Amino acid sequence: MHHNPVFIEELAYIYPDGTKALQGINLKIKATERVALVGANGSGKSTLLLHFNGILAPQSGKVMIGPYSVIAENLKDIRNFVGLVFQNPDDQLFMPTVWEDVSFGPINQGVRGADLTHRACHALDAVGLEPSYYGSRNSNNLSGGEKKRVAIAGILAMKPQVLVFDEPTAQLDPRSRRQLIQFLTTLPQTQIIATHDLDMAWELCDRTIVLSRGQVVRDGPTEAILTDGEFLEQHDLEIPLCYRRPYCLLADAPHTQSA
Amino acid sequence: MLLHIGAFHLDIDSQGATLWHKLAPHTRVLCVLLMVFAIALTPNGRWWTWLVYSVGVLLLILFSRVTLAVLFQRVAVEFVFIGVVILGALFQNQGDVLWSWGYLRITSEGLTALGSVALKAFLSLMMVNILVLTTSVSHLLQALITLKTPWLLVAIMASMIRYLSVLVDEFTSMRRAALSRNLMSSPGWQRLVVGNMIGSLFIRTYERGDRIYHAMLSRGYTGTPTVLKVPKMTKVDKFIVILTVIFLVFGQSLYFP
Repeated sequence: MHHNPVFIEELAYIYPDGTKALQGINLKIKATERVALVGANGSGKSTLLLHFNGILAPQSGKVMIGPYSVIAENLKDIRNFVGLVFQNPDDQLFMPTVWEDVSFGPINQGVRGADLTHRACHALDAVGLEPSYYGSRNSNNLSGGEKKRVAIAGILAMKPQVLVFDEPTAQLDPRSRRQLIQFLTTLPQTQIIATHDLDMAWELCDRTIVLSRGQVVRDGPTEAILTDGEFLEQHDLEIPLCYRRPYCLLADAPHTQSA
Repeated sequence: MLLHIGAFHLDIDSQGATLWHKLAPHTRVLCVLLMVFAIALTPNGRWWTWLVYSVGVLLLILFSRVTLAVLFQRVAVEFVFIGVVILGALFQNQGDVLWSWGYLRITSEGLTALGSVALKAFLSLMMVNILVLTTSVSHLLQALITLKTPWLLVAIMASMIRYLSVLVDEFTSMRRAALSRNLMSSPGWQRLVVGNMIGSLFIRTYERGDRIYHAMLSRGYTGTPTVLKVPKMTKVDKFIVILTVIFLVFGQSLYFP
């Protein structure tokens, strides 16, 4: 396992229409860290995520993914190193059946035969889906939670060292959300989770990076950042619910708080 | 709206154990292609040839044990679409005029042409629908690859099948949103709005295609085909293909001078 899977220095990115998506991004992520990436809509989270596996090449600055710099020759190795789970599972489940979708990644890595079957089965088991039942099912007929799980299985089957999630709990019902959070705590890989779900960020991640208008405005321990109400409000965020209302009964609410 | 495509369970008879089902998918596709070509390339007016070929189609229906109701329903729907196009074959200039009205002339040649084309269309549709009923989509696509269809074309077809229902869902939700805001107030307005919806669907599809491409790149897609194993032709497969060719030539030979 590489000790410094992500190293970004002075990264900038401007969209073709001239909008500055990212400016002066500096970040270093250590192995096995779980990092939350939070920011308002339009802060540049998704653009930054696309740099992690070389879909966007750095326009200026340096991006090192493990031992590889982001250049065309290294893209195959970078994409084996970093697994990116997109926000909408319909964009990610593009093969007709679940089995074909989960084996898509390993096939592109050159895995064949019994090895391939083992990897796909193992990945489906890891996300809690029975391979013999789900394998031949059409991707279109699954529920939202099942689709998300298949999308994650497809990435796990590639055995990456870093997992990057774009809004993993979006559109999930409370139980699926809880199952996903529990599942993410069991994974040993380095994780970068871009999310609006600040309660999940609090629960899962020790470190939080706050993006605002394309710049990193704060990078540090989750508890310190997510309890700083003034700072969060300045950047179009707010204190997570679990911290704002730590009491269960309304009768225990402090008198000074308004309804 | 999209008739039988809406059900999206095209291959209801694919779990059989008949001789037809035991053949490899590419053998089935090859036989059907050969039959369709032979049927379509037979010149107009050769009724005996088509009679022989229809016996072949009947035998295939018996062998493959397809659900007749579904088969005829699908062929009927498809024939309605084709019927509109075929009608043009009726108006030919050669032959004895049977009925005329201004520039439109129905001649004996026209009737022969219409009958031939209609029969060709019907037999071909029966063959193709039997194939689709008895073979699952992934087997069909695999068969196309085995028969040396360009891989990119097959990948495009697979994506189309995967995403057609997604697009139908998106269109349905757009339509529902429009209806909730009183779309049905006037027909002209409806046409304008539905036109805009289709345009919007095109743009959404394009952007979705971009996102799907990124997802494919993220999982190592490089544009080169990844075919796992190409099934070989067994003795039975080869025998059936040769039998089909002999049958087709026999049908044509009825009109050899």
